[in-house]
Amino acid sequence: MNDNTMDRAITDVRALLDTFISSDWQELHVVSGEIEIFIARAGGGANPMRLGTAVGDTELPAAPATGAETSVMAQHVATLVHVLPVGTDLKAGDTVATIRVLDTEEAIPAPVAGRIMSLSADVGALVEYGMPILSIAQAA
Amino acid sequence: MAIKRLFIANRGEIALRIVRAAQALNIETVLAVSDPDRDSAAARLADRKIVIGPASAAKSYLAPRLIVHAAKESGCDGLHPGYGFLSERAILPTLCQAHGIAFVGPEPDVIDALGDKLRARAMAGAAGVPLVPGSDCVASAADARREGDRIGYPVLLKASAGGGGRGMVIANNADEAEAGFHRASAEAVAAFGDGTLFMERFVPEARHVEVQLMGDGKGNVLHFGERDCSVQRRYQKLVEEAPCAAMPDHLRKQLHESAVALAASVNYRNAGTCEFLFDVKRQEFYFIEVNARIQVEHPVSEMISGFDLVQEQIRVAGGADLSVTQDQVKLSGHAIECRINAEDVTRDFLPSPGRITRWQPPEGDGIRLDSHMAQGAMIPPFYDSMVGKLIVHGSDRADAIKRLSAALDEFVVEGVPTTIDLHREIVAHPDFIENRIHTRWLEQVLLPERAKRAA
Repeated sequence: MNDNTMDRAITDVRALLDTFISSDWQELHVVSGEIEIFIARAGGGANPMRLGTAVGDTELPAAPATGAETSVMAQHVATLVHVLPVGTDLKAGDTVATIRVLDTEEAIPAPVAGRIMSLSADVGALVEYGMPILSIAQAA
Repeated sequence: MAIKRLFIANRGEIALRIVRAAQALNIETVLAVSDPDRDSAAARLADRKIVIGPASAAKSYLAPRLIVHAAKESGCDGLHPGYGFLSERAILPTLCQAHGIAFVGPEPDVIDALGDKLRARAMAGAAGVPLVPGSDCVASAADARREGDRIGYPVLLKASAGGGGRGMVIANNADEAEAGFHRASAEAVAAFGDGTLFMERFVPEARHVEVQLMGDGKGNVLHFGERDCSVQRRYQKLVEEAPCAAMPDHLRKQLHESAVALAASVNYRNAGTCEFLFDVKRQEFYFIEVNARIQVEHPVSEMISGFDLVQEQIRVAGGADLSVTQDQVKLSGHAIECRINAEDVTRDFLPSPGRITRWQPPEGDGIRLDSHMAQGAMIPPFYDSMVGKLIVHGSDRADAIKRLSAALDEFVVEGVPTTIDLHREIVAHPDFIENRIHTRWLEQVLLPERAKRAA
């Protein structure tokens, strides 16, 4: 989330809170772009964002498409343990890379079907949240 | 072994404070940041920053495995948790230990023991620290009367199975204790299916007093005097002072000795705070709890002692002995801290994140500002709303108040509402100036007065 998005989000939240406070609503749930907001009074409903996955935090694996290329990014800090080579053809859901946090490994699935076009991180390197690991040219 | 590279698992002003303390000790710093904190003041000052996760604290500052992984992979041999977040969760020192990283804090089992109210209370009792006078189970109205007479009124009747204020009655004399027993017991049966009660002395106008401690983990514990944090709203401290000017010297000495005895009894390592409730009328103090971390309000103790507590924490975590003896800790003058939050006081202290468009802090002798803010800085909506701590030091309490009042008048923040105005009112209030405050003073006196004026 960049600063401008955050500025806008905060202005929006203020406006929503103003509206909410002067209303007799018990809860309010808005989804707009990458922003999801839930407000409830004491005793209001359960936070729907806790039930599923919160928008914003889980945007990354879905990955923004650049033309027909999809970038696969780290969802949290980790060490890159293994990654498939450039040119590998994939089905959506195939494991394209493995990362490790302490002693636990985690598979990263391909978000789309296609071919690996480039690698952006080295095996053994620490990848940070939001860093690209590889990119996939989407199959037509 | 002395720490060479320190990982900082926190954000905001305390992250900046820790980076600076480490730099003063020639220690390299690696800062964990969440996505929106990439460009924070601490991130810019640290030797390296690692973006560990998204905005959500649960996936960044509250994720112990990510934090320890990042610390280990970046070659850190020490980890400072700051305050809040994971600072008092045993999982963090446990993981640090398993990966050869020195944790700037107590041992995991000490954190666990102190974090459990009943165990902490038992440990305090065993170390001879005064506890709130109370009873065992109270089985009848006659028992309630007898126990009430013994404890001294007013007393609180509480349901053993209770919580949330249900089955809780305040009794001011023996007759009320008897009547209160029937009411509280019936309420407790209705609410919890169990009418068992116990009684505790109720202190209607208490002060919150706490002792700053530093231990080496080998049984040596120093204190850096006490703080008075009685200006509170919903148990959140707003103003903290050192020393507690309302406490006579003989009691102060007992207070320090109690806190040191408790910490020494568990071979306490690192900075800690022992909190007490001070019954001014009876001139007695009772144990509340121990906070096993550096606290937000540590600067007032630093101002009166001239001692850097955060640097000492880092040294001790690296295995160093305490750098001073108790005799060398000299306390002088009076210090007061105001926590400045981005909150709208007129709207029930609504947190108000946003961008700071003007930031003009006070400067001068005896003024310290611990803040990560600047003109153009962003207060993200994901975390707490504190924008900084204004701390002043004067020759005595009156002098400190004078300096604080001038400093608050100079402080200009625009772009977001802040609590600066409220602090001006607190500091100018006759009750504050004459030191007649207690933990419910803000909510019972100042805020209602303010509401009346606004109406």
